[in-house]
This record gives sequence, C-alpha cells and structure tokens, in this order.
Amino acid sequence: MPIGGLEIRNRIRKLRFECGEMTQQELADRVGVSRQTVNAIEGGKYSPSLEVAYRIARVFERSIESVFEFVESNPAPG
Amino acid sequence: MGASLQEKSVWVQTLGLVVGLGGYFAVAGRMLASGVRVPWAYVPLFVVSVVFMVVILIAGLIVAALTSRDEAADERDRLISWRAEHDSGWLLATGVLAAMTALVAGVAPILVAHLLLLSLFLSQLLSFLLRILYYRRGI
Repeated sequence: MPIGGLEIRNRIRKLRFECGEMTQQELADRVGVSRQTVNAIEGGKYSPSLEVAYRIARVFERSIESVFEFVESNPAPG
Repeated sequence: MGASLQEKSVWVQTLGLVVGLGGYFAVAGRMLASGVRVPWAYVPLFVVSVVFMVVILIAGLIVAALTSRDEAADERDRLISWRAEHDSGWLLATGVLAAMTALVAGVAPILVAHLLLLSLFLSQLLSFLLRILYYRRGI
C-alpha cells in the first residue's frame, strides 16, 4: 500500500524463484508468519514490520535494501 | 488466495453474530413495535439467540481448524484486528451516548437497553466486516 506518495516494492517472488523455487509456505515457516501474510507482502497488500522484513532478507541471505525498496509512486511536481 | 485460520475464524464469528444477535433483533424489533415493554419477555429469546450463536461459533471454528494449518496470529492479523477495532469503536460510543440521552429524556428502560445492545451488535459487526475487508483488500 502506498504511504504518503511512497510505495514499498519487493523482490520476494524473484528471490524465491532463485532459491530453488521456495514456496510461500516454506518462506512463511522460516520467517514465522502465515502463508497468507507472505502472499500479502509479495503482492504489495501489506507492508511488513522492520523485524519481519529483516527476517525475510536473512532467509535469502541478502541485505534488506536488496529485498525491499521505497519507490516514489507520486512524485511532487517541480 | 486461501484464507488463513484467523480469517476463517472472523468469517465464522460474523456468521454467528448475524444469525444469533441478528435473529434476536429481527424478533425483538417486532415485539418492541407491538408494545411489549416487560423485560422478562425478552429473556428466553435472548438466551436462545446466544445459544444459537455459541453453537455456530463452536461448529464453525471446528470446521475452520480442521481445514487450516494450526497457525497463531501474526503481526498482520494483529494489525488488522487493531485497525478494525479502532475504525468501528465510534459506533459503540455513539450508541452509548444516544442511550444516555434517551435515559435522561425518560425513554422506557427496555428501549434504552435494546439501544445499547444494538450499538454493541452493530459495532462488533462493523469490526468483523472491516477485518474481512482488510484481509481481502490489504492494509
């Protein structure tokens, strides 16, 4: 969900694919959330807490910035 | 996207509330309209409605548990619950204020009691519906 013109995007789907097609359930079990929450995060319907974001990044052995990024969805004019 | 145990339990609670207390208000509303003002006349109806609600909750939660993974509520479930409670609390507050005003204005106590119960019912129903909306639409 966009927050004040900023939108959090993620590369979880791509990273799961690169990790031997890890399922959402596998990722959810390792992070400690439900599969539906992983699905919501992946689909941009829920922005996770910093703690969960870190846990997801740790599963993929990446930095948090390489998994999640802030994108300005509605840049201010001028 | 299949629903989680937490979301299914919200659906079950919504169904139980609508059938149980919704059924109560459907009948009690007619009784009030026809002039029944004796509080005891509503007690058997209320007891039956609560029993109905409890039976639906128990049966529904058993089915939900059998068809889902056993997962505790996570941060998204808690956020959805908090936000739904926050966004629906005004309805209960409005009902309480209206009931207090009605009491001061000399409205029959049975009507005031039903106004309070109705505001509690509607507030809880709104909370459940918002939770379902937040699960489906995102938060």
